[in-house]
Amino acid sequence: MIPTNTAYETNIRLPLLFIVFGVVAFVAAQAILLAAGPAVVSGVFRLPNIWAAAHLAVLGFALMIAMGAMYQLVPVAFLTPIWSEQLGFVQFFITAAGIIAFSVSLAFYAHVALFPGILLVLGIVLFLFQMGMTLRKQAKKNIMTLFVGSALAFLLLTILFGLTLALHFWSGSDATDHLFILKTHILLGVCGWFSLLIMGFSYKMVPMFSLAHGFSMKLARYVYAVYVTGLIVTFISFFQNGRGLFAAGAGLLLAGFALFAYHIWSILQKRVKKKLDRPFQFALLAIGIGLTLHAAAFLLSLSGSDHGMATVIYAYVLGWIMFSIIGYLYKIVPFLWWTHRYSKKIGQENVPTLKQMINEKWTIVQCLLFTVSLAGVVIALTVSSLPLFYAAQCAMTSFSLFFAGTIISVLWK
Amino acid sequence: MDIRELVLKQLRTVIDPELGINVVDLGLIYDLQINDGNIYILMTLTTPGCPLHDSIVGGVKRALEHIDGIRDVQVQITWNPPWTPERMSEEALRQLGHFL
Repeated sequence: MIPTNTAYETNIRLPLLFIVFGVVAFVAAQAILLAAGPAVVSGVFRLPNIWAAAHLAVLGFALMIAMGAMYQLVPVAFLTPIWSEQLGFVQFFITAAGIIAFSVSLAFYAHVALFPGILLVLGIVLFLFQMGMTLRKQAKKNIMTLFVGSALAFLLLTILFGLTLALHFWSGSDATDHLFILKTHILLGVCGWFSLLIMGFSYKMVPMFSLAHGFSMKLARYVYAVYVTGLIVTFISFFQNGRGLFAAGAGLLLAGFALFAYHIWSILQKRVKKKLDRPFQFALLAIGIGLTLHAAAFLLSLSGSDHGMATVIYAYVLGWIMFSIIGYLYKIVPFLWWTHRYSKKIGQENVPTLKQMINEKWTIVQCLLFTVSLAGVVIALTVSSLPLFYAAQCAMTSFSLFFAGTIISVLWK
Repeated sequence: MDIRELVLKQLRTVIDPELGINVVDLGLIYDLQINDGNIYILMTLTTPGCPLHDSIVGGVKRALEHIDGIRDVQVQITWNPPWTPERMSEEALRQLGHFL
C-alpha cells in the first residue's frame, strides 16, 4: 500500500464572493429583460438595454459563478491547490468592477464601452493567468485538464473578439466584419468556454455525486475531438460565410454533445447511489436540454433562420449553461458553508448532512418554475406574443429572486 | 466495553456528510491498530481528491482523541487499493437505495 496524505482547500470566502455577486447579477439581468419586453418579442435583440442584460447574465452571473466554482473545484478535481488566493481576491474586485462598469456603459454609453471593457479584460486575464499557473502545477494531466484548459483558451479568444467588438463601436468600423466577429464571440463564449467547462467538470461531479465506480473514461477523448472539431468548422463557416459548412459545424457540435450525453448516461449506470439528489438531477436535466437545443441549432442551420437561431442561443444560455450552474450551485453552496461552519465539529457532535443545509422540496418548486418560465419565454419569442413573454419573464424574475433567497439562506444555517 | 469496540463505536459517529453514512459502514477503514494507548488508522475516501478530505480525516481524529487512555491518534490516507462499493456494509447499501 502507498500511503498518501494531501489536502486541497480554498479559503471559502473567495468562491462565495463570486457566487453572491453572480446571484445578484442574475436578478438584475432578469429584471432588465422584463422591462425590455416589447423589443425582445419583436426580435430586436441588438439594443443597449438588452446588451446590458445579456452581459450581466452571461458575465455577471454565469462567468462569475464559473470563476468562483473553479476556485473551489480546480483544487478538488486536479489535486492542485490554487496558485495564489491573494491574487484571487484582487481578481474578483477588478472583474466585478469591470462587469458593472461595462454593463452600465453598454446600456447608456455604448460608444465608450471599450474602456470599462479593458478593465473587465484585465480581470479575466488575471483569472486566466491564475488558472494557467495552477494547472501547470498539476502533477498528472488527464482528460479533464484538456477540457478545462481548452475552455480557458476559448475564454481568452472570446474576450479578444469581444474587445474587438467594443473597438468597432468606438471607432465605427466596417459592419460585415462586425457580424463575423459577433458570431465568433458568441460561438466561442457559449460553446467553447461554457460548454467545454461544464462538460469537463461534469466528468468529476457526476461520478462524485452519484458514487459511480468502475466506468470507462475512453469515450471522453472522442467527445472532446468531435466537439472541438465542430467549433473549428463552425468558426471557418463564419469566416467563409458558407451555409453548408455552417450546417456541418452545427452537426459536429450536435454529435459531440450527443456522445457526451451518452457517456454521462453510461457513467450513471455504474452508480452506487440509487436515489440521486434533486439539485443534481436538475444539472442532469440541463444536459438533456442542451442536447435538444444542439439538435434545434443543427436543424435551423439547414433552414437558415436568424430569428430562430437567436431564440435557440437564448434558450441554450439559460436552459443548458445557467440551469447546469443553478443545479450544481444548490450542491456547491451548502458544501462551502458546511465546510466553514461544521468541518471542525465532525467527530465531536452531531453535524447536519449537506442535504439538510438546503430545503430540497423548495428547490424542486424553483426548478419547475425555471423550466416552465424558460419554455414560456421560448414560445413567446417563437410566436412573438408580448402578453405570454410578460407572464413568463415575470415568472423567471420571480425564480431569480427565490433562487437568490435560497442561496443566501444557506449562509444562515 | 473492549477498547477496539469502543474505537469502532466512536468511528461510527463520523459521517460522510454528502452520503450521511459513517466511515465504518462505508468501508473506508482499511486498518486499525491499537498499541499502548496509540491508535493508527489507515483509511481511504470514496474518490481521490474528495472535497471532504480534511473534514473526514479531522473528524476521525477528534472522535478518538477524547477516549480515556488514548494518547495519540495517527490517520493515514491511501488510494491504493482504491475504495470499491464491495467494501460497504449492507446497512450502507440499504441507505443508498439498494435492496428496495
